[in-house]
Parts: sequence; structure tokens; C-alpha cells
Amino acid sequence: MSIATEREIAARAKRPIRFGVLRQMVDRRSDYLYVLPALIVMMIVIAYPIYYTIELSFFNTPSNLQMKDKVFIGLDNYARILTSRSFREVTMNTFIWTVASTFFAFLLGLGAALSLHREFLGRGVLRAVLLIPYVVSAVAASYVWKWLYHSDFGVIGALAVQFGFTDRPINFIDNIHTVLPSLIVVNIWKEFSFAMIMLMAGLQTVPDQLLRAAQVDGANAWQRFWHVTFPHLKGVSMVTVLLLMVANFNAFIIPWIMTSGGPAGASDIWITQIYTIAFGRQRYGLASAYSVILFIVMMTLGYFYVRALTRGDDTRVK
Amino acid sequence: MAQVVLKEIVKQYGSLYAVNNVSLTVEDGEFVALVGPSGCGKTTTLNLVAGLLPMTGGDVLIGDRNVTDLDPKDRDIAMVFQNYALYPNKTVYKNLAFPLQMRKLSKAEIDTKVMDAAKVLDIVHLLQRKPRELSGGQQQRVALGRALVRDPQVFLMDEPLSNLDAKLRVQMRTELKRFHQDLKATVIYVTHDQLEAVTMADKMAVMSGGFLQQYDSPKNVFEHPVNMFVASFVGSPAMSLIPLEAINTGGKIALSSSEGWQLPLSEANSKKAQTASTSKIVLGARHSTLQLHKSKESNSVPGRVYTVEPTGDVTFVQVFLGGATVIVSLDPSVDVKSDQEVWIEFDQERLHLFDGETEMALTDP
Ligand SMILES: Nc1ncnc2c1ncn2[C@@H]1O[C@H](COP(=O)(O)OP(=O)(O)OP(=O)(O)O)[C@@H](O)[C@H]1O
Ligand SMILES: [Mg+2]
Repeated sequence: MSIATEREIAARAKRPIRFGVLRQMVDRRSDYLYVLPALIVMMIVIAYPIYYTIELSFFNTPSNLQMKDKVFIGLDNYARILTSRSFREVTMNTFIWTVASTFFAFLLGLGAALSLHREFLGRGVLRAVLLIPYVVSAVAASYVWKWLYHSDFGVIGALAVQFGFTDRPINFIDNIHTVLPSLIVVNIWKEFSFAMIMLMAGLQTVPDQLLRAAQVDGANAWQRFWHVTFPHLKGVSMVTVLLLMVANFNAFIIPWIMTSGGPAGASDIWITQIYTIAFGRQRYGLASAYSVILFIVMMTLGYFYVRALTRGDDTRVK
Repeated sequence: MAQVVLKEIVKQYGSLYAVNNVSLTVEDGEFVALVGPSGCGKTTTLNLVAGLLPMTGGDVLIGDRNVTDLDPKDRDIAMVFQNYALYPNKTVYKNLAFPLQMRKLSKAEIDTKVMDAAKVLDIVHLLQRKPRELSGGQQQRVALGRALVRDPQVFLMDEPLSNLDAKLRVQMRTELKRFHQDLKATVIYVTHDQLEAVTMADKMAVMSGGFLQQYDSPKNVFEHPVNMFVASFVGSPAMSLIPLEAINTGGKIALSSSEGWQLPLSEANSKKAQTASTSKIVLGARHSTLQLHKSKESNSVPGRVYTVEPTGDVTFVQVFLGGATVIVSLDPSVDVKSDQEVWIEFDQERLHLFDGETEMALTDP
């Protein structure tokens, strides 16, 4: 008896909510109408490709692109990828590439933002110079760095010899041990200005008065950074790191142009691997399965990203 | 506690003089209010005393020690900022403890001092909260507490009450005054609310355009403003100023308006008027010293009512007179209407005369 009433109460409590949402949707049907064109475009250019990729990932596809000849093989593609040795290597590379690039790009960006925050002669010029990597096209930068690294004609190798660090030019990107770190350096060079811009914007919002209060309270420059500036940058740092992570997971231009995953797969990351499987070996089904795995990882990251972005809004509402 | 001396301090931003040659002495235990309109250099002056800005010129002495080249932390001062500047990520306890931590006091010492300050300010129950979970008045008390824990020589406060609502401001004003009396602290207090200055301060420093205009007790500043700026800035509503022309009427001076009427001055006032560098004289009068008549009386001059503003206790009437507006306070029972012809009588004992060119107050020769 008492249980029944409780259920009733629960049901009664629930109904108005569901009714409310529906009611709201009906009341605002014209709002949905306004976003309909955008929704349709999104369906065509985003939702359908995603659906098609997922579908293909369950098939063995012929290399001649005659998709009507594809054969359903269930989860075989996934099983194959997840058990292959190269998957483990590529994943390891992707992990190193993403974490190292993100970490150092952020650290360097933070350092640059902090040093540019103070006023000094030539600050504007230096800021402009440090922004160059961000505005240079990734393709052009990759070619330039490829030449800088070149084992015979590379400037870096030549300088190393000149200054007596080595007696032979270093083989940066033709060596399986140095290729990934070398690419990461290029990536950091390309990305740190982005972190710098974000953090410079963040630094502008640190209230002057707080820093002054800390100064009166006896904090030295480092203590002021640690107790005032850094906590203030937490939000923007979170967002910056997540954006960098996502960008690095999806990185293609630099590794593809500079090494195409080589030598011997030493610089292969997920995206270059997928590209090779799909357009090098024409195995679309397998590549699709790979993409789906990447998609799931990205969605997980994206979830945290959006949460970090909207966290501020929530607290404001509270 | 200690005396604070500012010697000809100057702060320049490019070609702008934010603080221009300001000298003043704050005696030990004195409460000095720094007042002036927005942008006149109050905050800058305070920051110079605190050592938060590099000075262009001059010296600052705190308790016989020249601190001009010392860091803020070595000046033995505490500062309360306009919007409190509490560390948002720290609890109230940690906010209070921070200046002590930075001075490397032991945990036990910090704890006693924080608890003492918290008790004085009645914020013990708030110690574990974050600043954003506090009301404006509570934040204000925490900010005060953070200054208090260190037991500094001088307290510098930059509009600490400006973010509070009117009622809380009055309440905190009393508390601050009490706090000053109990601690016998030397306080320099920036405000643009002159009521705060008048009610709390032993002395008032009126600034304008980077210059120190007048430095005296609130009573003297109110009764003997040195120039037209101070006269119009101090007092609420402000002193009415009427630009007139001095004419000599056989030994005595009368002030003549463009509207044709003349106001003969008393003997003492005539002498003052004669010291002016020009015939242009500005007549100043506070609302409470003026009398309004509904019909013509001797010694009164004609005007026309512009607006009537009842405030409850008194009614302020703005009257067009001699090309200026004059504010008169009336008993609310007196009935006047806009556009009504009225006659205003000046109190010769309590009116002010200013030189129309130099804008300085005319005093006895
Ligand atoms: N960093 C700066 N660079 C250039 N000019 C400044 C700077 N800081 C202040 N000023 C100028 O100095 C003058 C005095 O500023 P200050 O902050 O001392 O005014 P204030 O009296 O405290 O005003 P308020 O009542 O609005 O707080 C203003 O004209 C202001 O524009
Ligand atoms: Mg100010």
C-alpha cells in the first residue's frame, strides 16, 4: 500500500517534467524551424559520413572502390586492428606525440606569455615574431623544417658540426630513434604560439589589484605567480591543453609531409596510419574501423573539453 | 604606529601629471581622508605611499624612515583595496594567514594572530569559506582583517566602502571609526564620498587634477574653503557659486549682476572684495545660510524657482539668480512652486567671496 503510493507520487512528480519539455518543444517549434537549414546541412556533411564510416567498418571492401561488392565481416576489422602489433606501436607513437607536443607547447607558451606580459623595450616586435609560427602555413613550415633537418644539406646539422657537437651531420628524420622527437619539436614550434595567445589573453584578466595586494602582503615575484596568477589561469589552461590535445591527436600535415610515417613506421601516428591504410592500401573497411576507434577517443576528449568550457557558465548560474 | 610624511611627491605618466608636487604630513594615529573627483590622483598617491608604483620625484617617510626606495613589503604598511582584492581561491583563513606566511611566521603564531583578528572583526564563523561565498560587508571585513593581522605602522585604504550598499556603508563607517579609535592607527583613507571623509577623518586632503588643494580638518575645509574648487566639491548639496561684478558705491562694495540687481556687501566683506585682482567676484553661499522670501524684502535679491526637491527632512529649492542656480534649503512645510518669483537673502557673516580670475578665496587683508 505504502509502496504503491510512493510510486504514484514519483509518477506524479515525473509527469510534469516530461510534459514540460515536450510542451517547451511545441511552444518553441518556430525556433526549431530557424535552425532547420543548419541541421540539414550538418546531417549531410557530418552525420551521414559518420554513419557511412561506421557501416563500412563492418565490411571487407574491395580495393577497386566497387562498394556493392563489399562483404560483411562483423567485428573482424576491429579485432584485427586491436590485436595487431603495429596498432600498439602506432598508439604508443600517438600517445608520445600528443602528450609531449601538448606539454611542451603549453610550457613554452606559458613562458612566452609571462615574459611578454611585462612591459619592456621591443615587446611588440618580439610578440609579432613569436606569433610567426602560428600564422605560417603548416605545409610550408613542414617543408622548411624538412630542409633544416636534412642529413646532407640541413642547417641544423651543419651548425652542430660547426660548433663541434658532432663530427658528422645528424640524421634527424631518417633515423627511427630520432624521427619522432624531431617531428615533435616542429610541432611544438608550430603550436606554442597558440598557447601563448591563449595564456596572454588569460593574463590580461588577472586583476592588478590582487597582484598588488600580494605585493603588499610580502609575496615575491614567484609567490605572486604561484598564489595569484596561476590559479587565475587554471580555466584557460585547461581549455588550451584540451584544444592542443585534440589538435595533436588529429595532426596530419606535419608528420605526413615530413616523413609520411616513416622510416619503418617509426613516426606513424593514428591519422597517418589511417591515411596509409585507406589511400595507400585501399582497405577502406579497415581504415573505417580505425577511424571509428579514433572517433570514440576524440568524443571522450571532446566531452571533457566541453565540460571545461561550460563549467564557468554553471557556476555563474548558481 | 607612525607618522607619514609625503615630500613633494610627483608621478608622471608620459606628459600627464597624475600626482603633482603633493606634500603633506599625517601625524601618528591620525585618520586622514583623501578626497577628490574621479581621476584626480587619489589612488595613485596611495600607491606611491605603498611603494606599488615607481615615483617620478619626491620622498616618502614613514616613522622617520625614508622608505622611498623600499619595496612595499619592507614599508610596514597594510592596504585595503577598493574591491577588497581577496585571493579568490583561498579560504578566508588562508587569506588572513597569507601575509603572515609570506613573513615566515610559525604555524602556531599565524593561528593565534588570525584567530585574534577574526574575533575582532567577528568573522570567526566564516574562516572556512571562500571569498565568493561572502556578502560584500563580510568580504570587506576579511579585507580589513588581512590588513589587521600584520599590525602594520600605517593602514592605507582605497575606497574600501564604495562597493557596499548605502545602509551597510553607514554601518561599516561606524565600525571603521571604532576600529581606528581602538587601535590608534595611522590611516590614510581614499574616498570620493565626502560624507565618509567628514564623519571619520581627523583631517581631509582635497585633491584635484593631481594637486593637493587643501589639507585641514573637515570643519575648516567646510567653513573656509581655500578656493572655488574646494568650495564646490565639499558639502552636499554643493556651495552655490554666483559670478558677479564688483562696483564701488562710495567706500563700500556692491556686487552687481547681469540681471540688474545689486547686493551691497558688509564692511568686512567689502574689505575682502577689495583684495581681489579683478572686478570679477564669485559669491559663494551654502544652502543653509540662505533665506527665501516669497515677497520682496530689504537686502534680498530676486530670482525664480527652477525646481523643488523634497527629500523628507528638508526641501531643496533651486533658484535661478544672477545667471547661476542657487540651492536653498527650506522647511518642507513652506510651499513654493516652479517658476515662482522669490527673493533670496544672503547672510553676510557666512557668505564666501572668491576672486573671479584666480578662483582663490578672498580673505581679510
Ligand atoms: N597606468 C596608467 N597609465 C597612464 N595614466 C594613468 C595610469 N594610471 C592612472 N592614470 C591616470 O592618472 C590619473 C589619476 O588616476 P587615479 O587612479 O589616481 O585616480 P583616482 O583619483 O583614484 O580616481 P577614482 O576616484 O576614479 O579612483 C588619471 O587621470 C588616470 O587616467
Ligand atoms: Mg581610485
